[in-house]
Amino acid sequence: MDFSVIGDNLSYLMLGAWPEGPLGGAALTLVLSVSSALASSAIGLALGVALAVTQGATHRALLAFVGFFRAIPVIMLIFWAYFLLPIVLHIDAPALGTVVCSLSLIGGAYLAHSVWAGISSLPRGQWHAARALGMRPWQVMRWVILPQALPIMAPSFVNQWISLTKDTSLAYVIGVGELSFVAAQVSNRVMVHPTEIFLFVGAVYYLVCASLELCANRLARRYAVPVR
Amino acid sequence: MIDELLAPRYLGWLLHGFFNTVVLAAVVCACATLVGFVLCVLRAVDRGGVSVAVRAYLSVFRNTPLLVQLFFWYFGVSSLFPEGWLEWLNTPHTWRVVALHVMWPPFEYLAGFVGLTLYTSAFIAEELRAGVRAVPAGQVAAGLAQGFTPAQVWRHIVMPQALRIALGPVLGQYMNAIKNSSLTMAIGLAELSYASRQVETETFKTFQAFGVATALYIAMIVLIEWGGQYLRRRVAYPH
Repeated sequence: MDFSVIGDNLSYLMLGAWPEGPLGGAALTLVLSVSSALASSAIGLALGVALAVTQGATHRALLAFVGFFRAIPVIMLIFWAYFLLPIVLHIDAPALGTVVCSLSLIGGAYLAHSVWAGISSLPRGQWHAARALGMRPWQVMRWVILPQALPIMAPSFVNQWISLTKDTSLAYVIGVGELSFVAAQVSNRVMVHPTEIFLFVGAVYYLVCASLELCANRLARRYAVPVR
Repeated sequence: MIDELLAPRYLGWLLHGFFNTVVLAAVVCACATLVGFVLCVLRAVDRGGVSVAVRAYLSVFRNTPLLVQLFFWYFGVSSLFPEGWLEWLNTPHTWRVVALHVMWPPFEYLAGFVGLTLYTSAFIAEELRAGVRAVPAGQVAAGLAQGFTPAQVWRHIVMPQALRIALGPVLGQYMNAIKNSSLTMAIGLAELSYASRQVETETFKTFQAFGVATALYIAMIVLIEWGGQYLRRRVAYPH
């Protein structure tokens, strides 16, 4: 084992070509992870609330929409977005945007079910009581249901964030210079010590994801539903 | 855009990729379930070093990207092999086992199989453990009070209930294994996503190439979903 290859390329692995060139490496992984986590939370919350309040055909259409994104591999969605967004929307979609877009949609689809489950776990009496007090449906959702349901869902959001962080590595397939991509690049260039390079890269991801997992577990204990 | 479908030759590529995905995912699911079960039991029966080692294994494999793990097995481990191993692994070998010719798969299949199996096993182990924990403690106490040995309690009381509880989540992990098998394209395994990309590059029929692949993925997921619903009704305890 010879980890000097890491030291020699540390700045490239962490920051990419920055500040001379575009940001890359672990820093870009973090940017991708945080932005897709935020976007997927917003999408998941909106879809989850929509799933909870709709019925009949609208509800089934929503379920099918969410189901589609849960059924296809992230790589397939990245391909679709990367090759079809420019054709369909006549815009020049940057690779970074495509990745964030794909990851947020898939993350949002998974979160939608957690949000829906969190809302459904509250007793129906909460709705009835708030409505009887004269609140409008959206006010009930905003002031009564979500403040109770969100803490229950908090661990799901953090767990989804872990998945997203790992999935940012898939940006590799369309050549976005995040951590996995630059690692493969360095490995191909120096042609020696691939084991050390990928062990190091794995350790960097592990540091981020394992700390997030600690957060999720702590949140889960804090907001655990007491056993009756 | 959908003016014409794909030539049979390209459909053939996609079907071959589909076949590879199905075989890889099936073998991975079977092996990962076995490994995951052993991990779950080891962690449950041991309170010392073994349990700590299992927990470390689960933490590491669950908290690093599958892509990096695949790169590690494909590029990293192969570079540690002694001289000549990789050439041997990469050259075709066939054995006659009874009446069957057994073909030795190229190295990317081996690396993909190992990487996917270890990754999936860590998730399955956690789902099984959640199933075990969901069995009320009173069940174990009652079993012991009835004169069952701890092993018998485990075998006849905890396991049947835990497996029923874990059935849905484990099937969910099987679905993930199918979707995750698409990552092996990064190490050159010619599975469904790889084939769709190849057809796309060759024909420029983006919509058809990705459409067929997407439809096949959805079909696999829907089949498992239906099979799971059927299975859950079959094994459910009568109320």
